[in-house]
Amino acid sequence: MTREEIKSLILEIIEDIDEEADFETLQPDKPLRDQLDLDSMDFLDIVMELRKRHQLQIPEEDYPHLASLNSCVNYLEPLLKNA
Amino acid sequence: MKVPLLIIGGGLSGIAAAIRFARFAPGALILEKHSRIGGLNSYYFRNNRLYETGLHAITNFAPAGNKKAPLNRLLRQLKLSRDQFVFHQQFQSEILFQGCESLVFSNDFQQLKDEINTKFPHSADGFTQLTAFLSNFDPFQITPFNSTRIFLESLLSDSLLIDMLLCPLMYYGSSIENDMDLSQFAIMFRAIFQEGMFRPGGTIKDFLDVLASHYHSLGGSLRTGAEVRTILHTNLTVHGVTLTTGETIECDYLLSTVGLSETLALLQKPETDYHVPRLSFVESIFQLPENKRSHLPQDRTIIFYNSAPEFHYCSPADLVDYSSGVICFPFNFNGLPQQEYIEVRSTHLANSSGWKALADDREGYVEQKSVTAEKSKQVLEEIIGTFKQDIVFQDTFTPLTIERYTAKKEGAIYGSPLKIKNGNLGYTNLFLAGTDQGFLGIVGSMLSGVSMVNQHILSRL
Ligand SMILES: Cc1cc2nc3c(=O)[nH]c(=O)nc-3n(C[C@H](O)[C@H](O)[C@H](O)COP(=O)(O)OP(=O)(O)OC[C@H]3O[C@@H](n4cnc5c(N)ncnc54)[C@H](O)[C@@H]3O)c2cc1C
Repeated sequence: MTREEIKSLILEIIEDIDEEADFETLQPDKPLRDQLDLDSMDFLDIVMELRKRHQLQIPEEDYPHLASLNSCVNYLEPLLKNA
Repeated sequence: MKVPLLIIGGGLSGIAAAIRFARFAPGALILEKHSRIGGLNSYYFRNNRLYETGLHAITNFAPAGNKKAPLNRLLRQLKLSRDQFVFHQQFQSEILFQGCESLVFSNDFQQLKDEINTKFPHSADGFTQLTAFLSNFDPFQITPFNSTRIFLESLLSDSLLIDMLLCPLMYYGSSIENDMDLSQFAIMFRAIFQEGMFRPGGTIKDFLDVLASHYHSLGGSLRTGAEVRTILHTNLTVHGVTLTTGETIECDYLLSTVGLSETLALLQKPETDYHVPRLSFVESIFQLPENKRSHLPQDRTIIFYNSAPEFHYCSPADLVDYSSGVICFPFNFNGLPQQEYIEVRSTHLANSSGWKALADDREGYVEQKSVTAEKSKQVLEEIIGTFKQDIVFQDTFTPLTIERYTAKKEGAIYGSPLKIKNGNLGYTNLFLAGTDQGFLGIVGSMLSGVSMVNQHILSRL
């Protein structure tokens, strides 16, 4: 997957969690949590969706890598390079 | 047969847990002993009419936009859209200490604040401090028991107000006598006073049907009439269960929603909480034709009353304690369509061992049930006026009824006074959810199912 594709994948998953999520003003280097009102339960959803869709196993200690859109892409890029 | 996740109990916590798992992985199976799902909040038919077993009101009302509210978080976690439900908010409810004082509250918290300012001016500042304290307090942090009474006495100078605030919160969410753990108080304060109460459109059956069909559409399985007799385990690892039919079902993970000592019994382990009293209740339904509703309170959804000099929330010496209780008018919610019949429901504290002693005395039991209904009507009439003459159907549930249909020990709706807040029973792949994990009520038990699956199972898949 390209960086752009990974970005869309994350946004698609978030939209699936919260259909009212507003991406208009989303800043890719700022925490998703504050901008989109996500809580730790929602983050687990992102992890579980990645597992379901791409068989990715993300260990708990790596969850901080999912903080912002950019950090998600950086973290997932090597993992999804063949996807 | 082997499944990844087996859930004992098709009550609200079990269903919520199963949906949560089924969203991400195949193979969840719920085993429910009864012929119907819902557990404590289910329904039954008499004379071709549906009666709800337990629904007064659902706590934790929140408007659709409030993403952080427990109700919306719950729906999001289950991937249920709010559009699938119609929520009817309460009119207003009352805490009535007869001959002393009354406090009216609604889903607008300001109303309760104003009432307290007017009726308990000496405690007004203390109440403001209390709400400020609670807004910064994390009730989900696991801490040792902290007495709410002692805490409230340090803030509020009117002991009557303390009892009045505790009365609804205890009736709707305390498994211990005469006091509450501060964390549970904080949860219930928010659930009832700050967020408020509502009921879903239709009946609890419609609500359960939505949950069940959602679960099935995610690929989950459910078996009713399937009672677990033993949990199979070697040391601290569970392999599966055997049913009363003798059938064995193996599993990777097991989630039990049937209570702490009930689960220990299935593991053939001794109980740990036998010495602490459990609270049980009697619940009566009085049904009237809709055209008699003008004889009943028009703007009250629930009345929490106490007529004793002091409010006691404990197991009574007699079979039933009528000196306090809950009166619910399930037709008094905003926007409900007109029905042919309406109900008045009452709840009082009961003595479970007294009722248990009647288990083998059919005649005595039936008689005490009807005495209970009569006395309950009598105390209700003193509060809401006469309605006896209009009743077309009535029924009473005792602790025995509840034990029989939900297998809750001693019919204790709120389960063991001891709660296992992290759901951990010391086994590698068996966890506890629902009532004895400590989240009570409909929203509470569902959140319990979801959070136990999140914490112990999904994160380890
Ligand atoms: C009369 C009454 C009124 C209530 N009113 C309200 C209200 O207005 N609002 C509110 O929010 N809450 C109310 N409650 C409380 C609420 O119903 C409960 O807190 C909640 O439903 C508990 O859900 P649970 O899943 O934890 O437990 P349960 O509902 O008890 O679920 C456990 C399930 O396990 C099954 N089971 C037990 N043993 C076995 C076994 N060995 N094998 C297989 N299955 C087994 C039982 O049959 C049951 O279905 C009321 C309860 C009652 C009884």
